[in-house]
Amino acid sequence: MRDISVRSLGFFWGLPRLMVIGMLIAYRKVVSPLYGPVCRFYPSCSAYALEAVTVHGAVRGIALGSRRLVRCNPWNDGGVDPVPAGSRSFPPGKTPWIVVLNHPVIPADDESRPAA
Amino acid sequence: MGFFGTILAPFRWLVSWIMFMFHEGFTFIGMNPASGWTWVLSIVGLVVIIRAALIPVFVKQIKAQRGMQALQPDLRKLQQKYKGKTDQLSRQAMTQEQMALYKKHGTNPFAACLPIIIQMPFFFALFNVLNGISRASAEGATIGALSVESVRQFDNATIFGAPLSSTFLGSFGAGGNLSVIILSLVMILAMTASQFITQKQIMARNMSEEALQSPFMRQQKIMLYILPLVFGIGGINFPIGVLVYWTTTNLWTMVQQFYVIRKMPTPGSPAAKALAERRAKKGLPPAPLLGERKAEPAVESAPPVRAQRVQPQRKKRKKR
Repeated sequence: MRDISVRSLGFFWGLPRLMVIGMLIAYRKVVSPLYGPVCRFYPSCSAYALEAVTVHGAVRGIALGSRRLVRCNPWNDGGVDPVPAGSRSFPPGKTPWIVVLNHPVIPADDESRPAA
Repeated sequence: MGFFGTILAPFRWLVSWIMFMFHEGFTFIGMNPASGWTWVLSIVGLVVIIRAALIPVFVKQIKAQRGMQALQPDLRKLQQKYKGKTDQLSRQAMTQEQMALYKKHGTNPFAACLPIIIQMPFFFALFNVLNGISRASAEGATIGALSVESVRQFDNATIFGAPLSSTFLGSFGAGGNLSVIILSLVMILAMTASQFITQKQIMARNMSEEALQSPFMRQQKIMLYILPLVFGIGGINFPIGVLVYWTTTNLWTMVQQFYVIRKMPTPGSPAAKALAERRAKKGLPPAPLLGERKAEPAVESAPPVRAQRVQPQRKKRKKR
């Protein structure tokens, strides 16, 4: 009995996060392709926001995402800007896809020169 | 007022205030305040304000695109490294390395999200204002900075017999209005044509060979055919006033692009060649182009430094 209430509480606690994730995924599938890649950062603003909400939850995730959007202006040089590590840990093999996508393994260069 | 209404409120106020100010100005110089044309010109004024404010962004973007030429060798090396690796994660890795490269060179060809996002609320706000004008007029309410009287005037304003707040889809059947239908169609065509011409101009005249072959171009070509569709769908749903805004913005983009192509073309593009020829005909030296490699001036400035006599050398020594 207690277990069920704890679990349903957990579900409602996680609901805002799921809703924001759904909205972000819909945006990335429908709106984003309309105007192609425009972001000056890696990961792109929407990918950053999606990872931030997935890893940090709705409140901190939205705050992180908004901060990134403001930084994504023509007077910022852009570049690689990963989401700060969060407290949520995922069991091996269950890492969310967006986290995998945003942290690809960079293959070593063929020539022996320091990576750019 | 819902969530979006609350966010839009300040933008709605600003948009309506700018239009109101233009309307006052045009009335002051003797135009009929009740005429649809005065209101159309007020919308055009709004476009001019917004687009003029965005010019620095545009210039910044052009400079960044020109800065790209310096890192072409590095980019090619990167493309070589990822050649044949088409899976999603490899693409992501490549994008990440590319971004790091841009950052290192302090240039970035992307326009950034903010300028696009910033324009959205203005567009929605205008849509909101024009869409709400009929109801506000009937209720005797104000919209943003527009007084009750202005709202009523705006609601009754027509051009060619088409009310500014009417839509294509709302103009069929009983009480229909043929001029709204014709005017909407004309503006949809104008928007599509200007978009098409702008894109074609950029691709045909203002791109170097290298840029034309980038994967980026494929996306641009797809856009060329999707956007007319967007204009068509939007055009039949949006009020005439919004279409005026949209068409004017597109025309602005087209003229801006023409100017850039004529006065500061991309080095190595057909337009750059045309500019050099025009200047040669007038007997002018070729103009320095934005982002051009500075190799030639360096060579020219070299000889005067060599004041010392060059040591004569035996010819045999050179042929080693």
